[in-house]
Parts: sequence; C-alpha cells; structure tokens
Amino acid sequence: MRFTMIPRVFMQMFKKPWTNKFPAKYQPSNTTKYLAEVSEGKAKINPPIETPPGFRGKIQYDREKCIGCQLCIKVCPSGAIEFKPDEKKIKIYVARCTFCSQCNDVCPVNCLSMSDEFLLADADLYSKDLIVE
Amino acid sequence: MSKKKMSPEEIVKYFKDEFKAKVKDSRVEKRVAGVKKKEFVNIWLKIDKSVFKDVIKHLCDIQFPHLAVVSGNDLGSTIELIYHFSLYYGERLNEVSLNISVELPKSNPVIETICDYIPGALTTEREKQEMLGVKIRGIPDSRRLFLPDDFPEGVYPWRKDETGPKDMVRNLHEVKK
Amino acid sequence: MKKKESVKTTTKTTYQIPIGPIHPALKEPVMFEFEIDGERIVDVDVSLGHVHRGIEWAGMQRNPVQILYLAERICGICSYSHPIAFARAVENACDIEVPERAEYLRVIHGELERICSHILWAGVAAHEIGFDTVLFLTWEMREKALDLTEYLTGNRVTKAIIMIGGVRRDITSDMVPKVQETLKYFKDNFEKLRHIFLDDKTVRLRSQGCGVLTYDDALKLCAIGPTTRASGVKKDVRVDQAYAAYGDLDIDYMTPDVLTGEVNGDVYDRIIVRLLEVKQSIDLIEQCLDKMPSGDILSEPKIPKLLARVKKTAGEGIGRHEAPRGEVIHYVKFDGENDNPYTWKARAPTYNNILPWIPMLKGEQIADIPIVAASTDPCISCTNRVTIVDNDKNSRYILNREELHRMSIEKTRRLTR
Repeated sequence: MRFTMIPRVFMQMFKKPWTNKFPAKYQPSNTTKYLAEVSEGKAKINPPIETPPGFRGKIQYDREKCIGCQLCIKVCPSGAIEFKPDEKKIKIYVARCTFCSQCNDVCPVNCLSMSDEFLLADADLYSKDLIVE
Repeated sequence: MSKKKMSPEEIVKYFKDEFKAKVKDSRVEKRVAGVKKKEFVNIWLKIDKSVFKDVIKHLCDIQFPHLAVVSGNDLGSTIELIYHFSLYYGERLNEVSLNISVELPKSNPVIETICDYIPGALTTEREKQEMLGVKIRGIPDSRRLFLPDDFPEGVYPWRKDETGPKDMVRNLHEVKK
Repeated sequence: MKKKESVKTTTKTTYQIPIGPIHPALKEPVMFEFEIDGERIVDVDVSLGHVHRGIEWAGMQRNPVQILYLAERICGICSYSHPIAFARAVENACDIEVPERAEYLRVIHGELERICSHILWAGVAAHEIGFDTVLFLTWEMREKALDLTEYLTGNRVTKAIIMIGGVRRDITSDMVPKVQETLKYFKDNFEKLRHIFLDDKTVRLRSQGCGVLTYDDALKLCAIGPTTRASGVKKDVRVDQAYAAYGDLDIDYMTPDVLTGEVNGDVYDRIIVRLLEVKQSIDLIEQCLDKMPSGDILSEPKIPKLLARVKKTAGEGIGRHEAPRGEVIHYVKFDGENDNPYTWKARAPTYNNILPWIPMLKGEQIADIPIVAASTDPCISCTNRVTIVDNDKNSRYILNREELHRMSIEKTRRLTR
C-alpha cells in the first residue's frame, strides 16, 4: 500500500507550526483576568499579522473638508451614513458599514479614508467607538 | 445534430422562415472584447406563445442547446418570460447566446413545459411557477422549490402589482437607529 | 435479502419535518430524502429554499453601484463572480465599453479566485473522506493566495474591486514582484499537491467508480462547470465566448483525458479536472502579466455621470462568467426612468448542478453521500439534514451531518485495512 503522506507527516514533527498564535499560545482559563493582566503589563499578547498597505479597515472622516454634497450617502450599499442637515455634515455607523470604501472613491474633496484598524468587535452596536462623526 | 455552423443572421432567418409572422421581433448584438477585438454575439428573439413548443423543437434540431436560466418580467398587463439559451459550445470562440422571450397575458398565464426536450429545465420552471404565478402545463413535478410551504397562496414575489409581497417585507434597519 | 422488483411499486410518503431554515445544528441547509434498501440508495429527492434571502428583491430597490456590493455577498467563495457578471450585464444593457487594461486585470483577479476556491475544495473533499492531514496542508497553501488577494485588493474574501466600466485598483509595477513570488510558490508546490491527491491509494479507493455521471445525463440535465467537464462535455464560458481578455489568451477545455486519456465521469475525474484547472489558472495569470497593455482602468471615473447614464438607458442585458463552480448568468433590465433596475435575475452555478445529484447518487451506499455530493462543489453545503426511509424495518430516522461524516470516515478505515 503506497501512502504518500507518511514521510510528509513524519517531517512535520520537526517543523515549526504555521499558525500565528494570536493572541496567546493557549486559551487562558480565565479570559477577563488575562485581559486585566495585559493592561497592567504582566502578560503579553502576540500581535496579529501585519496588514498590507491599502487595507480597508475602519473608516476615518475629516470634518473640516466635508462640503455636505451627500454623494457618499447615495452610493453606500448598506445605508450606514446619515446626513445631519443642520450642520451639513455626516454621521457614519460603523456597525452597518461593509468596508467597501466606495464612499472614499466618490467623495469629491477626499475627506474619507480607510485606516488599518480591524479589531472592532463590541457588544453594543451603537457605542462611541462605532460611530464616526 | 448540427450540419454546419450558421452565422447569427442565418439563425434568425432560420426561425423567421419557419414561423413567419409569429416571430415578432429580432435583434442581433455584436460586441468586441480584449486587445485583439474578438467578437461575441447575443441574439434576442420575441415570439408568439402559440408556437412556443415548435420553436423549441426547431432549436433542438440545430444542436442540443444549453439552457442557462429562465428570467421573468412583470410588464403591467402581461408577464414576459425570457429563455436564455446558448448554442455552438464545445469549440473555441464559437458560442452564440440566444434569448427567446414569450409574453403571456395575466388573465391566462399558461405555457407548456419543455422538460420533455430538455430535462434540465425542471428547476427553473418550478421557480417560475411559484415566483410569478405562471402555470406550466405538463410539468413532471410541480411542488414549491424556494418558497416555504406555509407561504400564502396567491402572493407572487416577483410581481409588481397587488399580488406582490409588499406587506410581507420588514425593514430591519429602520427598526432602531 | 430480497430485492424489490421495481422502484415504482414502492410508496414514498413525503413527510415535512419542521427543522430549518433556522436551526442551531445546520450550516447551509439542503434537505434530501432518500429511499434505501439495506445500504443501497434507491431513490433521491432534493428540497431547497431554506436560505432564500430575497436578494433580487433587495437589489431592485438599489442603484447599480450599490447592487455590486450586494451581489458580492450572495456567496463567500464565488464573491468575485457575481459582481463581474452583474457588471457585464449592465455594460451590455447600457453599451459601456471597458478599457483593455481593465479587462486584463479582471482576468487576473478571476483566476486568482479560482485558485483559492479549488484549493479550498480539495481540502474539503479530503476532509469528507476522512483525510484531515491533507485538509490542513492544502489550506496552508491557500493562505499564500489569500495574502496576495489582500495585498492587491484590501481584503481577503470580499474583494470589492469591480466597478461598472472597469476595475477600482490597478496593479502597479511595484506590486508585480509580489504577484510573481506567489506564482512561483504555487508552481513549485503544485507537484506536491498533485502527487498527494492523484497518486495516493486511499483517495483512489474511495473515489474511483463512485458517483458516476454519464455524458448523456450531463448534457441533458444542463450541468455546468467542472462537474460536466469531468464527464466529457466541453462547456466553459471562458473558452466558448470572447469576454474580458480571454479571447487573446491561450486556453483550452480541461477534461480528464488531458491527463489520463480516458473519461469516466466519477469523483476521481472531478478531482483531476479541478487540479488541472489550478495549473491552468497559474499559467493564465502569467500570460496576462506579460501581455497587459497600459491605459486607464475605468471608462467613467465619475460615479454621478455613470449613474446618470444608466438612468437614461432603457434596455436589457445579460452577463455571463465562468465561476469556479460553473457558469454564472445575470440578467438586468432598465426602464429608462430611474437608475434602479426594473428586473434583476441572478443565477448561481449550483442551481443547474442540483438535478445531476439524482443519477449520481442512485446505487451508491449511504457512506458515499458526503463525498459524492461534495464532489460537485455545491455552494449550499450538502447533506446536513438527511431523512432515511428504511423500507424493511418500516422506520424513519434522521442522520445529521456529523453522523454521516463519521460513517464516511469509517468506510475509509474499512477499505484500507
């Protein structure tokens, strides 16, 4: 019986694992205690893999440049942008954003850009971190 | 099977010779692509529903066609079904897309099945029955396909008139912002 | 055991078990109903519709730029094929020309997606047999392709690179070395992949002679993609029609006789076709990088002008593309008054590949169901809810996905003893 995987499996025992162990090598037994230790500096977190340039992360908005033309609202696929008519500026709900960056392309004064932040999970969809204005 | 390959204009003429006035409209579109500007062809035919089955049989005489899908339109007082076929696959850059459209009045939306010529049409015919309310005569299996069994009878999601699903839609994002 | 005379004398009571569409145990629900005699399958019935999301209806309330992103989320693994078919349909209806450089870029991204998808499928097929080591090995290879996708488009899965009239991002000359480095990695490791899948005795024992789809059945049931090419039918939108840059490139149909010289139409042939297509995609990307002309990447960079042009057109159009699973076709109709389409019909490739399941599964054993259904690479994940009607004992019991998987692994162990 010819099993071609056997030599390869044998060699795998001597190689380093491919997985990047983010955030820790093994799952901690008490997650909240582990996070408290990290913020005090007692424990370390393995960093995630670097993102390339041009990565589409959380949106960033430059209030000063915005002229209130509402083109970004017209092309947003999920309706994540709201217009504030009294100030003529916009409010973006990151919880609904699909990170397509179409609003960046359409803006005539280039006031929108995408950062490389992607660790955005939150229990409250409308918390302060997830609303950009 | 196929004798020799016909050009798009010859294909249109082949149908017009056989069915004369029942072919109501025809259109041949040619587009080019790439640097070498090779062209691809789309043919659109509009036929009367009384000769529908004969047209399909006539088509199968050229070559066994490939049925991609059947799409449907609600045009107010009629329902239009468009059958998207393609012919002359199997050789490089030879394929022709043929779209045959049939109009059915809403008062009597009945059409014959083509499953005896093309067995692969079963899935798409079942979908048209439940989504548009078209009755397909002679279909081997007329159960619902995509809609659940407790979906109300008489509501057809693709229609734009009073039988559409307007009050069955809930806009979740307007619930809380 | 006494064999029943004919299938028609048996009665089948279709019994609707109210589990689904939303249930914690299901991933992507498809319901099968099998009629079995001992361990052999005698008849099959498929029922669908449990993930019907009303996407076409949602699309008709949006303008074409927004629909591109909605179409991307129809499926996660063919997330490039649906936007490109839709963009071609709109370009066909409104007569928008695509610049030449954009067409070559579209081909590069399409083939990169095909490599990712086929390698993922190879891992999943190995997992269904029970060969988990190969699953991890192939998915490690796939990570390189995903890294390249992230570098070129900004995200690993939802690429968001198509726009009506071209593509959104260019491959500049400083990005080309990274592309070539990834291609070199794949070329060096392709032989490893081929050796594991096609020469290993375990894979051959499970897949040869299993789940056969004959040439006539594949033709009559309008099957598409690698499923039909493995049975010998030559259907491939890239070779048949000149669209994007495929008319300029050197490409041919991939059928199993390219490698082995004969066509059987079983699961082993489908593995051969998909691995050959990975090699073909690597070759096509190289050809594109050599021949790519210079120029702009979008025929209409200003979106408001594009939307105004769409609003004025009244017409219909179709757009087809060869996704990793087969042919995708989109039909769009505009009425000349608003920029929302009047009708949008999107047809995914697995739609046509459902009917071939019936002749493929008749006569097989229950433990073969996962590998046969997975060999057509369904985009709705197969057999996680199966009802078994046992004719002799007159009982009905339900096998869920985990138990089917376990039975499939046990069969492998029995065969290799």
